[in-house]
Parts: sequence; structure tokens; C-alpha cells
Amino acid sequence: MSVAIRADNLSKLYRRMAPGFRLRTLKSALLDRNLTDGLSPEDTIPALEGVSFAVESGKAFGIIGSNGSGKSTLLKILTGMLKPTSGTVEVSGRVAALIELGAGFHPEISGRENVFINGAVLGLSKREIESRYDDIIEFSGLQDFIEEPVKNYSSGMYVRLGFAVAIHTDPDVLLVDEVLAVGDEAFQHRCLRRIEEFLARGNTLVLVSHSLELVEQFTDEVLWIEGGRKRLQGSPRRVADAYRHAVAETEGQTHLEAKEERERGLAEELEATEPPEEAAQQGEVPEEEILRWGTREVEIVSVRVLDGKGNEKYNLTSGEPTIFEIQARAGQELDDFVFGIGIFTPRGVECWGVNTHIGGYVPEKLAGETTVRLVCPSLRLAPGEYLVDVAVHARDGYPYDYHRRYLSFTMTSREAGVGIYFPEFEWKFDEAVSWKRDHPKPTDQDID
Amino acid sequence: MSQVAKRLFAFRGLLWTLVVRELKARYRGSLLGYFWSLVNPLLLLAVYTFVFNYIFRPRMEGADPYALFLMTGLFPWVWASTSLLEGTVSLTANAGLIRKAVFPAEILPLVNVLANLVHFLFALPILVGALLVGRFMGYQVGGWEAILFPLVVALQVPLLAGISVGLAALNVHFKDVKDIVSNLLTLMFFLTPIIYVLDNIPAEFKVLRWVIAWANPFTPFTLGYQALLFHGAWPAPFVWLHMLAWAAGAWMVGSWLFARLGENLAEAV
Repeated sequence: MSVAIRADNLSKLYRRMAPGFRLRTLKSALLDRNLTDGLSPEDTIPALEGVSFAVESGKAFGIIGSNGSGKSTLLKILTGMLKPTSGTVEVSGRVAALIELGAGFHPEISGRENVFINGAVLGLSKREIESRYDDIIEFSGLQDFIEEPVKNYSSGMYVRLGFAVAIHTDPDVLLVDEVLAVGDEAFQHRCLRRIEEFLARGNTLVLVSHSLELVEQFTDEVLWIEGGRKRLQGSPRRVADAYRHAVAETEGQTHLEAKEERERGLAEELEATEPPEEAAQQGEVPEEEILRWGTREVEIVSVRVLDGKGNEKYNLTSGEPTIFEIQARAGQELDDFVFGIGIFTPRGVECWGVNTHIGGYVPEKLAGETTVRLVCPSLRLAPGEYLVDVAVHARDGYPYDYHRRYLSFTMTSREAGVGIYFPEFEWKFDEAVSWKRDHPKPTDQDID
Repeated sequence: MSQVAKRLFAFRGLLWTLVVRELKARYRGSLLGYFWSLVNPLLLLAVYTFVFNYIFRPRMEGADPYALFLMTGLFPWVWASTSLLEGTVSLTANAGLIRKAVFPAEILPLVNVLANLVHFLFALPILVGALLVGRFMGYQVGGWEAILFPLVVALQVPLLAGISVGLAALNVHFKDVKDIVSNLLTLMFFLTPIIYVLDNIPAEFKVLRWVIAWANPFTPFTLGYQALLFHGAWPAPFVWLHMLAWAAGAWMVGSWLFARLGENLAEAV
């Protein structure tokens, strides 16, 4: 297999644009022929550090990573728009970049003339553009507006025309950066179909996207970069899952920090005053902002979410064992008490609520400190963010300690779906139905 | 510098397309289009003829009729100064284009030089017409030596291209350059023998005369145009050499500056 793109140890430093550096930059550019040599580390910002990879021709290669990770810089180096500070890149064949569309469009000039200008900027000869002109216009769907000056186009029309020209340059290597997010649904489908045809002809694609589904659907291999460094490279499924996992981990950390923040606040409040008959109850705070109420005869000390192994965790995977652990303290001995937990979406939809009273537990005695665990062998919520209410109250609803939105967690899932409930499922078809692409089955090695 | 020239040649199709874009965009949306290119020189001709014949009558040897002498030097100057002003900002003004596509950015200053050359040529019929009328009225202006006019123009293209490519590259890094250029051009206008004859500078201003004659790249070109179109004479051989030297020097220095500073333009503009 021949290699279409080979990137070797690519690094890119951006110069800080403070005015004082400019003269030094000029000097080093004129004397040393290098824009960055004369600069000390604090004058520069590394955008890429030592990234290497190779893409075989005919393959589709995905690049993922969070904002500012260096994806776009990498892609611009591949196009030749930016020069790497060190390292080499070789791209064989004609390259087209769908990075920013409509290069050279002049607002005063008609769409038709702009097609020719844009084509020339992208490296097509006049004859080449002429022979493709009809296809370009048909693809853009702008037949009726093509004689209008481009300044009268909507932003969608502008991008459609730009995309149409770029995709008709017949490249061997196509570099795509997130541009599929533009245009209406129908145009997006047309673009995706066009890219599929492009791949079917044996050409090479590099796709940068935040849409992991798109990357998984289109690519053969994925590179994940973070902070300008290669984090992981491999099969789309494996890399995308590892990426999702890392994102969930970060979110879990955020949830944990939010919870700890809240618990610190509660502890301070406890020290400062006796169990306050909340100001809220006197009607000074809107009801939805009251986060805690009750007489505190029983007090909730802390709540934690644990995974099946007993580790505290706020990024959960749908279908995995989950434990909600409540630590409470009763100031005096009680014979009427109910423990309850409710899970809500951020918009306030109650997904699931349960308490010991509904469950048929009849209270007898609660004294001192206690740890109550609600164990779910398989918590099946749809992917998304959830908030948890926790309460201890009497059977008639008389509140001892009621916490609204005590903590939050993120649920992720290997499957896509909408709603809040996520049962185990599988599609079954008879032979009247066939599929171009089957559902990819998660394998054990995909699980990090 | 030959590399810059090579790339310009390889992208001559794009260069031409962009020049046409520039011209089309300028006339698009105006009813009279090309006619506007004639209005300004016509107006100048009318005003100068009136002023210098009836109000203020400069008696300068070798510059009679003065209105025609003035216009012969002025039209190429307008081409030069506009090209340099627009050329200096051509990279920063087209930042969108440079960031969006991979193509030789050194084309952009040249686009301005060529687009303004077209305007200069558009206005030329007015000048030629005025010279013919002058000749008809008995003045000794013009002659068949004008056939070498294209040669002077052909030498002025690399001169302007070189200066504006270098200035454009500098302006990407120092935005002060465009202000320096616009002020310098105002000064240069008076340091070029457009509104006066070089030989009429009083002898006590020896240094000034030397500067005008030898340190100003536009002087030999102005002398060339005046000789061919106004005086109806061949420019002296040293004037030709002088033009050639300035053109070659400007191109070499400008493209050297661009090669050094033009790296990673996409991130700098």
C-alpha cells in the first residue's frame, strides 16, 4: 500500500504577537531566515508537539480532540497553508482542503464569475473549470441565483457554492474540517454522499470533526490529539470510546467538584448558625432556588455515587452497577423515617424516584449515624446529565432533611438513543431487510 | 528572487483572473462603468489648461504648454502611487484569501500593479488626444518616438512589483509601513520632476538636485515618459540604463524581502 500522507515529528510554535517581539522577529527573519529561532520559549505557544502519523492512500483518517487541541493547525500544515516549525510532512497527489470555503469570493461579482475565481485560487485552469461548471452549479443547487452578486447570498448559499467548487477540484487527498456542519439537511446529505463516492474511487480522506458518530461512520483509523500531542491512534471505535471515556471522566470530575463545593457550603452553614428556619421559607428566595429544607431531626451528612467496585464516580455508563450512598445522622432516636432518592434531568423531568416507604419498609428505629445504600445492579438511563435529590422524611411527608439537586452525574452509553430510559435492546430483522452497514458490535478490547 | 518570479509565472492564470476580478469589481454596479476612468483625466486636463493658460502662467523652459507637460508626468505617477499604496496593504487586505487557500501570496501586490496599469492605459487616450490637439495648434509636442512608450511601461512593472511586494511583506509585520508609505509618496511627488523641469532647479540646491536625479526611482521613468511623449525625443542612454537599474534592483530587493518575511503568512496576516 502506498502512503498518501506521511507526517513526521511535526511541531508548530505560534509566536506571541506582543509588539516588543516584532522587531526581534524581523531581525531573526532577515538574518537567520527563520521566524521563530530568535525567540525564547515564553515568546511562543506550542500548538503541536512531535506528532507523527501516516495515512495509506485510499483510507479515511479521522482526527479528534477537544477545542484548542491542535487539530486545525495540523490540518492546515497538511494543506501547506502553514509551515511546521520542525518536522516534515509529505502529501502525495493533488490536495483539496474543505477548511474555509469561498476563498477569493468577491461580494460585488456574480456567483458564476466567482466560481471561476475560486476555482483558479484552488488551482484549476480556466478550461478545467469550464468543463465542470455545470456539475458545480447543479451540486450547489444555486441555478436560479448564479447571476446574482455574491453579496446578496445567504450564508448558507455562500458556503454551498464554495463547497461545490472545492469538491469538484477532483483531489487525490481531501482534507475536511468540520464544514459538514453547514448547509441544510439535504445539502449535508449530498456532501456526505459525495465524500462516500470520493472514497469509493480509492481516494484519501482526512476528516476533522467533533462529531464522533461521523468519524466512526467514515474513517478507517482515528488520531486523537490533546494539547498538541498524540494521545491515541487506532481503530475508530477504540479511539472514539477512549475519547468519550476521557470526556466523561472530566465531566465526572466537574460533578465531584460541584458536589464537594456544595458540601463545604453546608458545613460552613452548619457552623455559622443553628439549623436555620431557611430564609427561603419566609418567602425571600424563589421556590426553585431553595436547595435544602427540613427540621434536621435527621441530617444528611454526605451522599456519594459509587460504581460496582465501590469507587466514587460521577461519570457512569448506562447499564453498569451503580450505588447511591447516603450518610445520615439522627440527633435523637426516631421511629418514623423514610429514605428517598430522585433522579431528574436538568429540565426537571423526574426520571426515577424511590423511597423506603414506597418500597414497603416499615420503620422501627433510627439512632446515631447510619450509612444507607441504594444498589442498582444495572442503572439504565439514556446518555446525558442528571441531577439527584436526596431526602429523609417522616411517612406523612414531614421533612427532616430534604436536599434538592444534591449532586449531578453524567451518563454515557455505547449506544446512541434519545429519551431518558435505556433498556437493553437489539434489532431483529427478517430477510426482507438488508443493510449496507451493520451495527458495529462493541468488543471487549474496545472497553478501556 | 527567481523563485518568486517562477511562482508568479506558474500562477499567471490566477494572476490574470484576479486582475480581471479587481477591474470587474470596480466597475460593477456603476452605470457608466469604464467612462468613469476617463472622467478624472478629462477633468484634470480641463482644469489645468484653464488655470495654466489664464490664471497662473508658469514660464518654464522645456515645459510649454505646461498643462500637457504636467499631465505627461502625472498619469504614470498616479499609476505608481496608487499601485504602491494598494500593494502595500494587499496582503493584509486579502487576509481572508491567504488564510483560506494555498496559493502564492506574492501575486496580490502584482494584481494591484497590473489593475492600476490597466487604468493608466484606459486614461491614455485622453493624454494622446490632448497631445495631438497641442500639436495641431502648433506646439512642438510628441512625435513618432512614442513607439518606445511600451518599453518604459514594461520597465515600470517590475519596479512597482518589486517595491510593492517588499512593502507588502513588511506591512504584514509592521502595520506602520502603510502610513509611512502614504506620507513618503506625498513627499516623493514633489521630489519627482513632474511639476517642474529638473534643469530649472537653482544651482545652489546641488544636494536636492542630486537626490532627485539619482535617489528617486521615479525620476528616470518620468524623464522617459516626458522625452517620448512630450518632447518627441529619445531618452538619453543613461536614462534607459537608470530605469533598468532601478527596475532590476527594486525587483531583487523586494522579492528577497518577501522570501524572508513571507513565510507563514497565513498565521501572520
